[in-house]
Formats: sequence, C-alpha cells, structure tokens
Amino acid sequence: MFKQCPAIMKRELFYMWRDKGLRNILLIGPLLGLFLFMGIYSHPRIDHITTAVVDLDQSEASRQVIAELRNTQDLEIACYPENFKQLEELVKRGEVMVGVVIPENYAKNIALQRQTRVAVVIDGANITYATNAASAVLTVTRNLGAQVGVKTLIARGIQPNQAKEAYQSIEFREEAWFNPTLNYAYFLVLALVLNIWQQCCMLASCMNIVGENGVRSWLQIKASGLSAFKLFCSKSIVHISVFMLLVLPVYYLAFVIFKLPLNCGIITFLLFTLIFAVSLHSLGTLISSFSSNAVDASRFGMVIALPSFVISGFTWPIAAMPQWFQPLAWVLPQTWFFQGINYFVLKNPGWEMMNRYFLVLGMMAVLCYSLSALFTHCFQARFR
Amino acid sequence: MQQLLNIAHYEVVHIFKDRILFLVVFVVPFIYASLLGMIYASSILQQVPLAIVDLDHSAESRAVVSAFENSNDFRVIPSVDTYAELEQGMKNGTVRAGVVIPEDYSQSLSQHRLTQILTVYDGSNLIYGYNTRRYFQLVLNTFSAEHTAAYLGGLGMSKQEIKSVMDSVSVTMQVWYNPNYSYSTFIFPGLIIIILHQIGLLGIGLTITREKERNTWLQYLCAAVPQWKIFMGKALPYFIVNFFNYGLLLWLAARFINVKLEGSLALILLLGLLFNIIITSLGFVISLYAPNSLQVSRYLMLLSVPLFFIAGYTWPGTHMPVLLYGLGKLMPFTWMAEGLRLVTLKDLGANYLAITIIIMSCMAAFTSFLAVTFTKRRNPAAEGGLVVNSGSTYPKKNFLN
Amino acid sequence: MEPVIKVSNLVQKIGRQILFNGLSFEVLPGESFGVFGLRGAGKTTLLHILAGVDRFKSGQVEVLGYNIKKSEKFKRDLGLVTQEKSLFLDMTVVENLDFMAALKKSSRSDVYQMIERYALKDLLAEPVILLAMGSFQRLSLACAMLNRPKLLIADEIIKDFDLYSRNLILRELRQFQAEGGTCVFGFSNIDFCEQLSKVGWLENGKLKVYEPESARAEWHRQIKLYAEQSDSHYV
Repeated sequence: MFKQCPAIMKRELFYMWRDKGLRNILLIGPLLGLFLFMGIYSHPRIDHITTAVVDLDQSEASRQVIAELRNTQDLEIACYPENFKQLEELVKRGEVMVGVVIPENYAKNIALQRQTRVAVVIDGANITYATNAASAVLTVTRNLGAQVGVKTLIARGIQPNQAKEAYQSIEFREEAWFNPTLNYAYFLVLALVLNIWQQCCMLASCMNIVGENGVRSWLQIKASGLSAFKLFCSKSIVHISVFMLLVLPVYYLAFVIFKLPLNCGIITFLLFTLIFAVSLHSLGTLISSFSSNAVDASRFGMVIALPSFVISGFTWPIAAMPQWFQPLAWVLPQTWFFQGINYFVLKNPGWEMMNRYFLVLGMMAVLCYSLSALFTHCFQARFR
Repeated sequence: MQQLLNIAHYEVVHIFKDRILFLVVFVVPFIYASLLGMIYASSILQQVPLAIVDLDHSAESRAVVSAFENSNDFRVIPSVDTYAELEQGMKNGTVRAGVVIPEDYSQSLSQHRLTQILTVYDGSNLIYGYNTRRYFQLVLNTFSAEHTAAYLGGLGMSKQEIKSVMDSVSVTMQVWYNPNYSYSTFIFPGLIIIILHQIGLLGIGLTITREKERNTWLQYLCAAVPQWKIFMGKALPYFIVNFFNYGLLLWLAARFINVKLEGSLALILLLGLLFNIIITSLGFVISLYAPNSLQVSRYLMLLSVPLFFIAGYTWPGTHMPVLLYGLGKLMPFTWMAEGLRLVTLKDLGANYLAITIIIMSCMAAFTSFLAVTFTKRRNPAAEGGLVVNSGSTYPKKNFLN
Repeated sequence: MEPVIKVSNLVQKIGRQILFNGLSFEVLPGESFGVFGLRGAGKTTLLHILAGVDRFKSGQVEVLGYNIKKSEKFKRDLGLVTQEKSLFLDMTVVENLDFMAALKKSSRSDVYQMIERYALKDLLAEPVILLAMGSFQRLSLACAMLNRPKLLIADEIIKDFDLYSRNLILRELRQFQAEGGTCVFGFSNIDFCEQLSKVGWLENGKLKVYEPESARAEWHRQIKLYAEQSDSHYV
C-alpha cells in the first residue's frame, strides 16, 4: 500500500518532465508572463497625454489657459497647430489625444465680460486614454472657470475675498483607496500572470485521466489490479504540488522583487492559491474524464480557461454584466479566484468575508472529483 | 484546378466528420463572441454604488447629497452612515466610491472658512477607479457651479448677472469617436479579432498534424502534387469559413451589442481579406512544422492573452517599453486590431490606413511564401529517448481500435 | 541501359546513430529489386528516401533519371505502398481512390480499371478502417498503381492475410513487370525471394547485393550458424 503510492508519484513526475511541451509550458509560461506584463505596465499610469493647443488669440489670457493645462501632470502639450483643421488631422492620425482650441478675441471677450468658449476635443477611440484625459480636462475646467470668475467679479467691484469665496470656499480632495497612485500594474499584472498560470495548470490537469487510460500501458495497470482511486489520488497530489511549486517563484518575483502590494499575509494567500489549485485541478480532471483523447481534453479545458478571466469580472465588473448572467459567472472556480485575488491582495477584508471563498472552492473540488470518478467508472463499464 | 478543388473537397468532408473540429470552425467563434458580447452588453459603467457619509446633516450638506443623487452615474447606497461603515463597505465591495462631508461643513460655510469635501473611490479595479474619478469631476463641477451661483445670489446679484459672470468662460468638452465611453465599442472589435485569430489558427493548425498522425501525409509527399496546390486546397475551406465568421461576428457586434461600426465597407473587407490570408497561411505553416495536434492546441491557446495585451489595444503602446512595443508591432493581430479601429471607429479613409495596409500585405505575402515553399521531404525521426507526447502520437482512449 | 535507380554513397543519420554508411547500388528497368533486412536495419527508411519522402544526410540518389534532391518530377511515375497504413482511414474505399486519383492527376477511367483489377467493387462503400488486411493491401496497391507508374516501391506488401488477396496481388505484380515496370520491395521473410530478380541485404549500415538464390542460401547458413552456437553452450 505505502510502497505503491510513492512509486506512482515518481512515475507521474517523470511523465510530466518528459512531456517536453508540457514541461516548457509549465516552467516558462507563468514566468514569461510575469516579465511580459511587468514590462507592459512598467509605466503604470497614463500621464503625459499628448495634447495640442490651437491658440488663436496669442494673448496673456490665453497663455494663462496654457499654463493651467501644463499644471496637470496628466496632460503634456506636444504641439501648437495653427488651426482647427490641423488639429483635426493630428487627432485622426492618433498623434495627439487631446486638443484645446482657444478662440480669437479670447482675452478681449473676457475683459469685456462677453461670453467666450474654449473648445476641448478628446480622442475617445481608446477609453483608457479618454477617461484619464477627461478627468484631467474637467479639473482644468473648474480651476480655469474659478480664476476667470474671480477676476470678473473683482472687475465688477466685488470684494476680492468675497469673489474668491464664491468660487473656492469648498475644496475637493480625492483619494483613491487601495491603490492610491492608480497604478495599473498593481491592478492588473498579478491577475494576468495568474491567468496564464491557471491556463498552464488547466492544460496539465486535462491530462490526468486521459493521459493514463489513453495509452496502452493502461492495460498493464488494469491487469495489475491497482485501485483507480489510489492511482489518481497519487497523481493528483503530484500535479497540485507541481502547480504550487510553479507559483512560488512567481510570487517571490512579484512581491519581493517587483514589490507588488500584498495586504493579506503570504500564508493566507498561498492557502488561497492552494485551494484554487485543487479546484482547478478537479475541473481539469472532470474534463479529462469525458474526453476521448488528449487533444479534445486540451481544447475543452482551454475553452473554459481562456474566457474565464473576462467572465470573472476582474476587469469589467460582474455588477455591470446582465442580471441573469451574473449567477453563471460564479459557477467557474476562476471567478472566485480572481475576485478573491482582488480582495486579498489590495483590500484584505478579513476572514469573515473571505472564508466563503475557501468554502465554495473546496466544495467545487469535491463535486468535480466525484463527477469525474463517476464518468471514469461509466466509461470503464462501457469499455468492458 | 480540379486537383485543388478535390483537396478542398476532402478537407470539407473531414471538417464535417470531425465533430469537434466542426464546432471549432463554425460554432466556437460565434459562441465566444456572443458570450463576451453579453458580458459587455451594458457597455457603460453606470450606477456606481456610492456611500455618502454626511456628518453634518444640514441643509447645505443635503445639497451635496442631492447633487450625487441626481447623477445617473452613481447609485447612492443609503445604509452607510459612518466613516467606519464606508471603510467596511469599500473593503467588502458593496460600495465602490464614497463622499465624506465634514461635521462642520455648514458652519464653515457660514463663517466664510474654507471647508473640504472628501471623495474616495476604489482603486483596486481601475475600470471602476478611472470612471468613478471622471464621474466625480462631472458632479463636482456641476455642484460647485451651483454653489457659486447661490453664493452670488446671496450677494444680491440678479440671475442675469450671475449667468453672465458664470458663463464668461465656458469650456465645451467633446469626446470624439466614442462620446459616451462605451466599453463594448472600445474593447469588442479587438476581442472579435483575437477570437478569429486564435480559432482560425486552431482550425487550420491541425490540418497537417492530423495527416502526419495518420501517416497519410506520405501520400501527399510521394505524389507529384506541387506545394502551392496542397496549401491552396487545404486552406480554401478555412479561408472561406473564416471570412464568413469575420462578417458574422462584425454583424453580431453591430446589431446586438451596439458596437459602433462605421467606415468604408471596402476597407473593412480589405483588412479582413489580408488578415484572413495571414491567419490561414500562418496556421498552415504552424501545422507543417508542429510535431502533433496536442502541442499545437496547447501552445496556440496560451498565446491569446499575451498577444492581446502586447498589441497596445487597451494599454497604449506609447506607455510601454520600446522593446515590447516593437515586439507587438511584429504581430499581425496588432495591426489588424488597430486598423479595424481606425476604420470602424474613427471612420478614416484609405490614406490614413496606407501603412497598416502595406504592412499587412507584406505579412500576408511573407506567410503565404512560407506556406507554399515548404520542402516535401520529412526529417528523419529524431532520437526518441524518454520523451512523451512529442512524436506524432498522443493519448487516445480508443487506442485499441 | 540507363538504371531506374542509381544510389551512390548514401549516408543517413538518425540523431547521432549512423543508419546508412555509404550505400551504393543500381536498379535496372524491369528488375524486381528486394531490400532485405531484419527489424531496425533501415528498410523502410531506404524505401522512403527512394520515394522522395524522407530527407537524407548525403550522397547521390537518382530516380528515373532525376536527382531527387533537385526535382520532384520523378514522382509522376512513382507508386508507393507503405508498411504502416497510410490511406485515409476516415474515408470509404471509393473516396480514397477518388482522392488519390486527384492527388496523382489520374483519370476517372483509371479508377474504374483499378476497381476492376483489384476486385474492389463490392467494397466501395466500406470505410477503410473496417477493411480486412488483405482487402486493405489490395486497395493500397490499387492506389499506388492509379497513375500507371514506371516504378513501384512497396514495403512489406505481402503479410499474413487471406490467400485470395495474396494471389491477386502477386498476379498483378507479375503483370506489372511483364509490362516493363520496375519494382523495389522491402521484405523480411526470405520466402519472398522467389518473386525477385535481385536482393539487397541491408545490415550494419551496408547493402550487399545477392542473387535471390544466394540470398536464401546465406539466410539458411546464418540460421544454422546461430543454432550451432547456441547448442554448443549446452554441451
């Protein structure tokens, strides 16, 4: 009894190692993903958005507008086209994202207290850009309106302190919690890497059953009278340990070298990863149990693993998905995992809330393993 | 020609026989697109759950509250009253943004002292974070204008006068191309392209590995049929289906998911054509050199996420290291996704797309060249040794047949 | 007479192992050349090289007057029957014939004729995967003959299948040779020698050419040698 299990485990480890494709994927995939995504988000904020200013007035007042624009870190004035047509061309070519047009007679109109209108255009083709640009522009607008307003009031003979108070009696302070610098890398990198990791693990766990009873040596195993339970138990332990071993360097690099935030303790986070690894493996095993060959199993696995990140609501929130779809999203273990990552890593809301995540993932694992045992059993019965 | 059509005919016969391949080629792109379409159907992030901690409970603070209640962007969660509850709500995700009005708010205002309203938002999901930040700016701009108007009214100015002071300078902000920040318009065309890219490759990527696994590849090699005919014959069915899928998914996007699709149809078709040539020939080349179907399926699928992110489709390439930006530029997906966006979203003409079209044509020429110039000799089987699943076999349950 | 196959100094390596160490031989038109060897000697590899399917390390191979490293034209007059099944197992008999005819640019009448000659008429709608070995081999040969080749390369064409098929195949092979066709066979059962005009014995990376009778004599000599050696152990 106790001799068989280590032997099976050793053999499984060799099997994983000798499957060159799988070995490359498991060893290189997550780490490569980490470096890639760390690279992509190495400049983790969208600032210095290229801006063009069409200054048709060329006055003291118009230069003040420009100075105000300069003040924000988010915008960067790249050029001064001569007219609106040129600006339009620049936006179309994607060379600038924001265009500001200061009209002719801007200074004069302000002095005469006549209405004047500054036009701002934002390239909305890339929302990530556009949202940031819009926030920056809105801040500039408020400041500019206040400045000009105060001046106008004073020109009308209103006390300077009253004029100021009219515009600036309330200060608005904004705080972004959990990620104060709005660092995109903190938000996305870890989840993207773990997304790659879970896809790799899915590919490996899809081989669990079909990789065994899909080869001729299965006849030897059947003839030897080894219990299927013991066989697959030992194999699964090896798989899950390998998954965890693979995630360790990723965590080390992410949290220690790249200094990504981790608000809950590393032990809690590792435990959470472990319970997910188990439930992911159970899902892979389930797929493996009803697939007729390894290619089909890999395809089924990937069909689920690929869109799971999007479905998990890690980026586009589940609350914004259609009402009837929301419960379906929670069927996948990946949804619990990615949502859990978000909470654990950045918020750490405490055990009372998070124990649910452990519980559900654990229950999913039990369910999937039982189902795959059932399927394998049925298949064997038909086989005889 | 007859020979070519015959090869194509039998490839079609095979697609219809292999149930899973049939699904992959005809159904999976549609299902994926529908699934993702449903996810992004609402397309605009509205009704952000907001908690207002009003520590003042005065008429003035009530004005702040109502400014937020009137906004469609926020949904005020009434049960949160204290700062601690706000913290708790933000942590467990029931609340994504908060406003804190200090307890001396109205007192400060009446005593002409500076007071402060705190706005907080959840930075842990930056899709929430960025949007909430913008929504806050919008509401606060409106609110502070109202506040100023009320203050000036208090000074005894007439409505007319107030209006003229306030409007003396106004800033109009126009967002071109995607004025209501529709997320589906933004992300969906890119997703369609990555679906077509990956599923396209996966379909044709197994066409030669399959022949190798069944040893029938020998029959092509020992017959005097030229390479280009093998390629064209095998690729033709996939080419047609991919093009059909391209049209179908774009139609689906425009019709049901409210993705903005404008621009010249000719350009959309041209881009689709070039992209399709690249994908079918690339998939064929992969299939030629890959050892077996299992490896193709494994590697291809894993590429999806990195390809999408390196393309600079969401996170702009200008904010990436040059090396990665350059690497992204080598991928056909990068050019196709960007090209499609230029046409359908920005409605630009051919002169703006010249570079995209030239580069995609070069890629198409290059991949087709690779696909028709392969050698019709196999390498001798490498030293077997202790490797698994790397030859032309992989585990199959019906191995006894 | 110009030889149909001219091999000089053929070297093939698999990984670091040398499989052929400078093979040289010729096959003349109308000849029936058999490549004999035990498992792993490289019969199949050699035949695949001659058929223009596998790459080789170095040496000169000319088939039907073409250098096969530079030309594909010889394949128009080539038929190949492989040892491992290489027909389309997921298709029926008639579909296989039709598709192979398309690959080889053969006419419809060729297909009809092959059906006739190889007695495949009753099997046309059968899936190939369900065929008995004898019928399968008839079909393989029919497919190889579709383009009316001048050179037939057949690897282990006779196996332990039904005698009807065996007889039919041997009859067709004789017919093929009578019409001037050249054959190269791979075989491992010495009895097949009677069908041949020359035997190339492949062993330890070298090919030695025998007359069929002397090949058979050599085989029996070796059998006896080993039997005596093993007997002597027990003495």
